[in-house]
Amino acid sequence: MILDVKKLEAGYGKLRVLDGISLSVGKESVGLFGPNGAGKTTIINAIMGIVKPWGGTIEFEGTRMEGMATHLVARAGIALVPQERELFPGMSVADNLELGAAWVPRGKPIMARQLETVLELFPILKERYRQYVGTMSGGQQRMVAIGRALMANPALLILDEPSLGLQPSIVAEVFDRLALLKKDISILVTEQNVRESLRAIDRGYVIENGAVVLEDTAAGLAVNPHVVSAYLGI
Amino acid sequence: MAIKRRTAILVALGIVAAVVVALWKPTVLIYGMQSAGLYAAIAIPMGLVLGIVHIVNLAHGEFMMVAAYASYFACTASGMDPLLAVLPAAAVTAGFGLLVYKLTIRRALKSPELNQLILTFGLAITFSQGVNLLFSSQTRKISLEYVSASLTIGELSFGVWPFVFVFVAGAMAYGLKLFLTRTTTGKAALAVGQNPRGAAIVGIDVDRTYGLVFALATALIGGMGALFLTRSAIFPGVGGPFTMKSFSLVAMAGIGNIPGILGASVLLGLSEALMRAFRGLRGWADIIFFVLIMAVILGRSIKGRKS
Repeated sequence: MILDVKKLEAGYGKLRVLDGISLSVGKESVGLFGPNGAGKTTIINAIMGIVKPWGGTIEFEGTRMEGMATHLVARAGIALVPQERELFPGMSVADNLELGAAWVPRGKPIMARQLETVLELFPILKERYRQYVGTMSGGQQRMVAIGRALMANPALLILDEPSLGLQPSIVAEVFDRLALLKKDISILVTEQNVRESLRAIDRGYVIENGAVVLEDTAAGLAVNPHVVSAYLGI
Repeated sequence: MAIKRRTAILVALGIVAAVVVALWKPTVLIYGMQSAGLYAAIAIPMGLVLGIVHIVNLAHGEFMMVAAYASYFACTASGMDPLLAVLPAAAVTAGFGLLVYKLTIRRALKSPELNQLILTFGLAITFSQGVNLLFSSQTRKISLEYVSASLTIGELSFGVWPFVFVFVAGAMAYGLKLFLTRTTTGKAALAVGQNPRGAAIVGIDVDRTYGLVFALATALIGGMGALFLTRSAIFPGVGGPFTMKSFSLVAMAGIGNIPGILGASVLLGLSEALMRAFRGLRGWADIIFFVLIMAVILGRSIKGRKS
């Protein structure tokens, strides 16, 4: 397993959000689904060291990670595309992409090659290479955020609600790109747009009230009555 | 496009105003630019800290005062010229700045801004009163021959040494621009200033970067402390007015806008020199920065309301 999370507990102040979540990611693409407030982003934040876990373990490539500082998690090989993108708006696309690799041991030595791959995957970024990121549209910024994460040559790419705030045509484009990526990189994606994301994942977990209520393959989730009624709106 | 046109109009107006002032009262232009150089060289490190660490360092001028005292005693004990003390002063102040950052400022970064202001204000008082207790309030000065060099053009005679600060300010601004846009560490600092969480996500050690930037800023102000000895006498309260003026320049320029600090310094320097050129207004020259900062804030408020 690339990532192995066991009995993870976390919250904010006195509010418990995660109640003993266990999940794993191998060389595959895994989805985390659930309604708003289910705890999806908190799982990501705990893995990335943004939120300190109350209990449980997080193991990445055999190393215990719980409570580790965010920059060390990134350097270990986990790249995050956050919900809010968290880009550097006053810097160019070129600088944003460069910073994605510059401080990560896995990315720095192969920065030029990674840049080629990213620009091939998102040709629009080549056109806007010198443009300030803050002046770009939400969809283009999302591509910069994914490109920046890929620059790190991560062992695990985490995407938190990649379709949030995007128009449907861009959402489809983002998931098409993710489907291409899953051949080479392990992916963990949280998403409310279950229909689109089922195209890009191999396996998924349904999280409700801070606990895993369902785990299945993408094909299994697509026909599961609970998923169909609660998330696919059929 | 509209912004470029507006900037071009402002620059053109500035040049016209400078030519008029130069013809009408040339001393205003000369002394104004000399003051502008000094103000900019002192304000730029404060702008760096505010732009990246996002803290208003009210002990900024006091760091310069402490460095000036250390340089003064080193120079008088060894007979060294203050110019030779610039680099050692910068290095020692950087270490001192890093220590102050680690022991105090770092712990207040996530606190409300008022707490940060109180902390740095406390540091300012501690530094100035500490120096006062140790060395008294007596003014100290190093006499140097080369600083009295003057130039005569027609009937006008003026000292040339203060122009050194104009070059120092320019070099500081250009050097920082190169550092922040061309080096990996500089780009990381810029990234941390724009989005600390985003920076941590890409593997940048935010806390270390804050410490590095604070140490760099105190190194620059420490070097300025040694250089300041060539121009003025020093005393424990010498840094306070520079903190206030630096803050007003940084606020006028806008957070993180280092070229803007140069422009604001020229405006302040010329305004002060203009006030001093008229006998009845001389006493008001030292508080003109209050008027300028109020005018800038008012202008921004009106602009913000319109947009």
